[in-house]
Amino acid sequence: MTRMDAPPVRFVETTKHYGQVVGLERLSLEIADGETVGLLGPNGAGKTTTLRTLLGLLKPTSGRAEIFGLDGWRHPVAAHRHVAYIPGEFTVWPGLTGGQILDLLGTVAGGYDPTYRDELVERFNFDPSKKGRSYSKGNRQKIAIIAALMTRAPLLVMDEPSSGLDPLMTVTFQDCLRQAKAAGQTILLSSHILSEVEAVCDRVAVLREGVLVEHGTIAELRHLQANTVEATYLGAPPALDDVPGVEDVQLRDGHLRLHVTGSPDPLLKALARTEVTAIQMREPSLEELFHAYYDESADVPAGTAG
Amino acid sequence: MATTIRRTPTRPDVAPPVASDAAPPAAEPCPPVGVWWRAYRHHLRLLRNAAIAWIAGVSIVSTGVVATFEDRIGTEAEMQALEAMEDIPALEALSGRYVEIATVEGFVLSRWGMLFSILVVVWAMLASVRVLRGAEEAGHVEPLRSGTITSRGLLTSALAALFTTHLALAVVIGLSHSAAGMDVATSWALGGAAGLLAASFATTGALASQLVASRRRAVVIVGCFLGVMLGLRVLAAATATPEWVWWTTPFGWIGFLHEVDQARPAVFAALVALLVGLVGAALALAHRDVHTGVLGRRSHRVRPARAVRTQAGLAARLASGSAGTWGTVVVLVVLVFGLLARDLAQAAAEFPTQTELTKEMFGVVIDTTAGIAALAFYFGALLMAALAAGQAVDIREEEATWRVEHLLVRPVDRTRWLVTRALTSVALLALIGVVSGIAAWAATAATGDAITFTDGLLAGINIVPLGVLVLGVGIAVVGLAPRRTTALAYGFVVAAFVLDFAGPFLDPPDWVLQLSPFRHVAAVPAVDMNVGAALVMLAVGAVAAAIGMLVFRRRDLQEA
Repeated sequence: MTRMDAPPVRFVETTKHYGQVVGLERLSLEIADGETVGLLGPNGAGKTTTLRTLLGLLKPTSGRAEIFGLDGWRHPVAAHRHVAYIPGEFTVWPGLTGGQILDLLGTVAGGYDPTYRDELVERFNFDPSKKGRSYSKGNRQKIAIIAALMTRAPLLVMDEPSSGLDPLMTVTFQDCLRQAKAAGQTILLSSHILSEVEAVCDRVAVLREGVLVEHGTIAELRHLQANTVEATYLGAPPALDDVPGVEDVQLRDGHLRLHVTGSPDPLLKALARTEVTAIQMREPSLEELFHAYYDESADVPAGTAG
Repeated sequence: MATTIRRTPTRPDVAPPVASDAAPPAAEPCPPVGVWWRAYRHHLRLLRNAAIAWIAGVSIVSTGVVATFEDRIGTEAEMQALEAMEDIPALEALSGRYVEIATVEGFVLSRWGMLFSILVVVWAMLASVRVLRGAEEAGHVEPLRSGTITSRGLLTSALAALFTTHLALAVVIGLSHSAAGMDVATSWALGGAAGLLAASFATTGALASQLVASRRRAVVIVGCFLGVMLGLRVLAAATATPEWVWWTTPFGWIGFLHEVDQARPAVFAALVALLVGLVGAALALAHRDVHTGVLGRRSHRVRPARAVRTQAGLAARLASGSAGTWGTVVVLVVLVFGLLARDLAQAAAEFPTQTELTKEMFGVVIDTTAGIAALAFYFGALLMAALAAGQAVDIREEEATWRVEHLLVRPVDRTRWLVTRALTSVALLALIGVVSGIAAWAATAATGDAITFTDGLLAGINIVPLGVLVLGVGIAVVGLAPRRTTALAYGFVVAAFVLDFAGPFLDPPDWVLQLSPFRHVAAVPAVDMNVGAALVMLAVGAVAAAIGMLVFRRRDLQEA
């Protein structure tokens, strides 16, 4: 039986190997009810493997993945009663119309809200009367989005859901996500569109080579990463060699640029000994965080997930 | 002047420096001939494996017919009986044109020529549609077309690759038949004609691929073309038909390859002219938008669209497409044989040697209408088996394209999905069996020498267990080796058929022949249905399917 008091998503030491290739390595992650979590990672990082393992489409090599307390591999039918999934590449049955596909998927899902379906069809400017083979990639993706959202499932799992959508439809999709979030639906979203993740998600989890290298709120991740400090000064350059948390110091013609991790207090005290005429401190954008974690040369803090 | 004090590689906003202001080296342009050559090799790679299998299979069987001729037709009486068959049009309708049938050359061209030709052109057409329309449908053409090769360059490179395989077929047939003892000139005439016939029908596939925008519709077009050409060939053999009708179809031309007809130059001229005409037509139509056909798209709007709300409804919708096509072919084969049954049976009754030969080849005594109907159902069984293999391939296709994911991420059990698909296919196989049985009764009734309705029905039902067996094996492959489903499912059917049809020529131990399920399909309505064998086939099919389902439930979904 599904336990609605159990977390909507829980990975417990979930590992998936494809022969010698590591798809996912000892992933432990929990998503609370109503939370929106973004899954980030470069191609081949294991995002799709993560989602497909959760949904029971792939068998974990070890560990387990649960949906509302139910193992997705052992009890897929019961678990799927509370999930809607949007794949990144939605292939359609070429002989069925968009409307037929929506009807079929809604019925097979155990029911849907027809009024909301019609509203979504209108919002996404989707023509359901055409045969599947005639739809463009963007329109195929709209079928997947509408089919998932119209069920109002308590858990939405999405793998690159807005791929193929034009910018206007991407905005519409993000509005729908915010609506779902406001309605209390839990969302697990894998995306390359960082602005989408930043705009919608409460937390992000970063995967690299099948390993969860970091997760937390975006604010927490920023805290862990270095802030960029730029300043102009007069006179001799400040001595910053031994200042804790300071790295990458560049000095050029009275201009200073560096990164500081942790509290900026020691840096500010060091700079106070110099005549600083202007100073600016900037947090890393999600894109910069993304690049930091994806940098191949960086050490991977494996097993830091909790 | 910049001073770098410390640097770590993990900082978020540090982009790698651009070290040089030199322009990147320009790519060496490839000459058009080089591009075309690469496209040709690409197409040849796509065709290679299937071509090797088909050429080897067809050549081995055909060479076996040559090599065993003298063992089969040993006595003077048998020779005379064979010669007497030359005046029986009904026999010519189903095999080759009967000329000098008591010689190995005449025997091969007459008795084997028609089936040989059909096997060759089916391969040629399907291969052509696959590498031309199938590749375009799958999106493999854009990367090539976005390069420097033109649409016509791409088509000619594909045709050249196809023709290379046909040339290989011609050479293998010429060499193997002359080595097996057939007259050298006739061997090479047969090989050359087979190669040109294959090239012509492959180009028909290429032409159909320009006309319509989907592989399935292209296959329907070439299938219809094949049906019309075969129909004309059957008509040409009818007693009252004028001689020129033979020249309306390439299958008729092949009948004039016998040396005594002195018509080989005309046959080759006709084949070359057809080939040139078709290539010209295909090239003329090739300069078109990608992903379209010259005939344009049919309206994709369906009003009102019939609802498909359950997975059973979806299964029926998906399975009925190919089953409908194959089922129509089964029924047509039975109808044609049924309409000719009376004449054929009367002819066969006068020639015990012919009857004996047919019994050895097909396991059917054809001196009665029921015997001819049983022969029809022998071919019906082959088509039924191919249909069943196609159903397994269709099931796999749902997984390979990840369409099944749309269902399995919803509250749909894997096993239930597969059982639903399998049962739908079984129901369609049974329906086709019943309809073909009724067709056999109706066709023979139209000639005034009807088999009973019950016999017709049983004959149709009799071929269903073979279909179920093949479907079960196919589902086992879907579970165990999903990426090999097409090769193994169809390979099983071809291997079983070749073993049953050509195996006796090679005199293997009896238990080897018994491995073919075709050997256990009773010649109903000529003999009683072998209920025991039918039940065993059903049971084996069910067990194989159960194994496939069990494995499918426990394994990852696997894309193509």
